[in-house]
Amino acid sequence: MPVITIFSGNFCHEDAIVKELVKATDYNLTSQQEIVKKASTLSKIAEAKITEAFMEKTSIFNKFTHEKERSIAYLRLAIAELIENCGDQEVIFAGFPVHLIPRDINHVLRTCLIADIKYRVKTALIEQSGQSEKNAMKFIKEHDKNSSAWVKSIFSIEDPWDISIYDMVIPVDKTTIKDTAALIVEKSKSGAVEYNERSKGAVRDFHLAAVVETALADEGHNIGVSAKNGAVKLTINNNVLMLKKLEEDIKSIAQKVHGVTSVETEIGKNFYQADIYRKYDFEIPSKLLLVDDEREFVQTLSERLLLRDMTSAVAYDGESALSIVDEDEPEVMILDLKMPGIDGIEVLRKVKATKPEIEVIILTGHGSEADRKICMELGAFAYLHKPVDIDLLSQTLKQANEKIKNNLKK
Amino acid sequence: MPKISKNSEGVSKKEEILNAAIILFAEQGFSNTSITEVAKATNASTANIFYHFKTKEELFLAALQNVKEGIISHFDEYFKDREFENGLQMMEEIIAYYLYIAGAMEQWFLLLHSHYPYRLALVNEVCREHLEKTYNSLVEIFEKAVVKGKEDGSIADVDSRKTALVIFSMIEGVVRFKIYNLYDSGVLFAELIKSCNKILKYKE
Repeated sequence: MPVITIFSGNFCHEDAIVKELVKATDYNLTSQQEIVKKASTLSKIAEAKITEAFMEKTSIFNKFTHEKERSIAYLRLAIAELIENCGDQEVIFAGFPVHLIPRDINHVLRTCLIADIKYRVKTALIEQSGQSEKNAMKFIKEHDKNSSAWVKSIFSIEDPWDISIYDMVIPVDKTTIKDTAALIVEKSKSGAVEYNERSKGAVRDFHLAAVVETALADEGHNIGVSAKNGAVKLTINNNVLMLKKLEEDIKSIAQKVHGVTSVETEIGKNFYQADIYRKYDFEIPSKLLLVDDEREFVQTLSERLLLRDMTSAVAYDGESALSIVDEDEPEVMILDLKMPGIDGIEVLRKVKATKPEIEVIILTGHGSEADRKICMELGAFAYLHKPVDIDLLSQTLKQANEKIKNNLKK
Repeated sequence: MPKISKNSEGVSKKEEILNAAIILFAEQGFSNTSITEVAKATNASTANIFYHFKTKEELFLAALQNVKEGIISHFDEYFKDREFENGLQMMEEIIAYYLYIAGAMEQWFLLLHSHYPYRLALVNEVCREHLEKTYNSLVEIFEKAVVKGKEDGSIADVDSRKTALVIFSMIEGVVRFKIYNLYDSGVLFAELIKSCNKILKYKE
């Protein structure tokens, strides 16, 4: 008798699948809008304002107002109340707020619906006739960016479809709507997601923590809260100098909450990173050019990099790559070797001859040892093979960026 | 700027070095100040300075500690045996005295208003503790006045901690105006006291 949560990419048949799921079971659906509405009632913040918490872009004033954190605290309270009230009833929660349910509530089956971007564009064009492909793409990318930022803020991982935060990730481009629903129903009946005393306790803890968090948020504090049988732990993540004063303040607020038996505070692991965003900006190159004639590959790569906050320009052949180099002066270039017209080695030679400060990372599918030697001699920064591990690539990009910065210092 | 005191009565060489360091760090920043300069200002040898302080960072931390202790002891001295009519009047006097100290011991506040100690505090626990202690003591002084005023009725039922922090940040803003010569802060004094009065007496 579990709770099913659904987090979905846009244009991944979420509505149809949920409909099918409701038909096949006795589950009631609580949509994102309903959760937002409840959070709005509890907090008296407008629904539209709360929905802004799901957007990647944060108001520049948020640093002073903590509006976003307050919205999220109330979303957590809303979903905690909803889960506690439904007891052992069967419910489906959908949308961004589902990620706020802690992992230790184990009668929750966490599902994710996703498809590759081409399929989603195709679906968008069918679902919204008259839409241009470019627009559909823009829409999808925006949704993915928001999803990524949301997931990152909660789990500190970049990939919103990462299997580690779900019980099942279903590729809806390879599974029919009916089969997807059937898969979810089957999994929901397995013992792993049973409602029992332990998960009931976890829900109670979640609810208490959420109440404390909103009490703190109402006073302007942005503090991580967890609870275990009435014992509350407050985690301070924002570096403040007057730490003892802050600890006193948040403890006294938490102690006043009904049901709290004890309060302790701890320093979060981000505490000493004064401004992680600023640090992040410095680590990655800001102007990145991808050059590859395999359109699909380069699109996917660009998307994956976008999820890591790296925006990139794309060129499909050597000529256009060189003209971009002339006009826009990229800092780093990721270059394929085999291309029609001017090939990669020639592009590398020309770039290094005219703009030696540009760092070039070769990324090739069929390069030989001899190619590698030539490229390195011509001054390539690194020579990587396809398929490339995205972690290795972003590592290499960071190293290239470091080199550029060091060169600038000289 | 007060002159760096020469080795006169009661001032040890170590203290003399510290006083010079405070002034130089405050005026030029950490990276632009060399041990050689500190040595020159105090007629000491660099070896002598390194005998007391193993690194430039250690000298900086000692300077910061000196500032902390100086501010705290000045306020302690000021409050000793002093009676206040009520909390509101106490607050007025605290503000006036704070601004007086900030003018008289400008180098202390110049050091506290520079960026370096706060960056160092992120990686250096000792630096962090000095700063935290300094600011805790200062805020506590303001808070004490608010609490007292709430008890004797001269101050409305406000949140003591937050109100103390808000008033403290206003005063610190005025100090900043003064040390960076943004505006003649003397002109603001009367209005500052009036504004604080409004905040403290306002009933919702």
